Amino acid sequence: MDPTHDPDAFDTELPHDVAVLLGDPSLWLEPSAAVELLVVTSIVEESAHQQVAVITRRSWRRDPRLTALLGAAAAAVVVAAVAVALRPDAGAGEAIGDSTIAMTGTDLEPSVSGVAGITREASGVRVYVQVPGLPRRDGDEFYQGWLRSCDGERLAPIGSFHDLTDAIGWAGVDIDDFPILSFTREVVAGPQGTGQASSGEAVVRGELARCP
Amino acid sequence: MPDTSPGVEPLTDAVIEAFRRGDDAAVRAMYGAYSRLVFTVAHRVLGDRSLADDATQQTFVQAWRAAATFEVGRDPAPWLATIARRAAIDIQRREARRPTSPLDSAPADDSALVTLPPSADQTWDAWQVRVAIDALGQAERDVVRLQHLEGYTHSEIAEHLGVAVGTVKSRSFRAHRELANALRHLREPVDEP
Repeated sequence: MDPTHDPDAFDTELPHDVAVLLGDPSLWLEPSAAVELLVVTSIVEESAHQQVAVITRRSWRRDPRLTALLGAAAAAVVVAAVAVALRPDAGAGEAIGDSTIAMTGTDLEPSVSGVAGITREASGVRVYVQVPGLPRRDGDEFYQGWLRSCDGERLAPIGSFHDLTDAIGWAGVDIDDFPILSFTREVVAGPQGTGQASSGEAVVRGELARCP
Repeated sequence: MPDTSPGVEPLTDAVIEAFRRGDDAAVRAMYGAYSRLVFTVAHRVLGDRSLADDATQQTFVQAWRAAATFEVGRDPAPWLATIARRAAIDIQRREARRPTSPLDSAPADDSALVTLPPSADQTWDAWQVRVAIDALGQAERDVVRLQHLEGYTHSEIAEHLGVAVGTVKSRSFRAHRELANALRHLREPVDEP
């Protein structure tokens, strides 16, 4: 059919297999924005550790030149770590954490993604979050962060926030028992309310370890 | 400079060398050039965005760990596609070992019910089609996406984009001509009489 005569006629002259592939979402989707940071952080940190590992395997104690090299390599680790911590998208000089979690928007905010860093401290678990793109919540509205157990039965609050672009929360629980990190939309509970519980309106979510 | 797949911005040998060393900027350059293609392979195998993200991350880390075996000057695309497919299949197997609900309670389109991953050839075809899509201009790409992915007619695309049907038709013609040229080598073999 001449496509100029039928406004809905297609001029596809492609192999059938190609036409089928063009209808596959895999060919149009993109990885979440957080994946790049996770890749770069993983490789740069592992690379820095390898540099030290190679030199410490040598008999550096018997050779002062290798001692100096070891010092330089250790300095390289520090530089790499600082570079990761101070990258422009890592916030105000905050290290991303010992472990990283890719944060993905839920059905309520499907276009949002980001990253969270988890650091185990003596006083508890420090959660550093970078999830840009969510609307700021002020007044009686806020975001609440939660660490959840895999079965969803137990949850611990990590703090409330106006914005998740560059936020830090804390919780006094073991991250291994509460590996799911989520943020919900909340409204301040009234004086007659039953207390501040999760609204269940999760906007972004990530898992430190995949739950069974 | 390495030979590269058409439509992919070539990375210099220096960038590949720097990637081997774990250089921050080189890792970002490698990721920028190939992440969408790697993700396409992973998503074709896994059918799940979150798992495909995991496979994409693992692909680049595994590629970096094995970079010493990669010959500088060659196109990294087939090498990365192979790693991506393998990483995705590993994740698929890991997921298959997880406790699941009974089979008869799973919906028919549950990706977990698909047991056979695409072949290496099918994976490479998908990679090349993605390269061709990404090489299109934004306007042409939008028309092809709405046409093939969303199933819109030319009239519906025109209404959706707020342009004339004739504009959609010319963009569609141009896009399909570019795709046909770029993917000519993927045409099905013609049966000999």
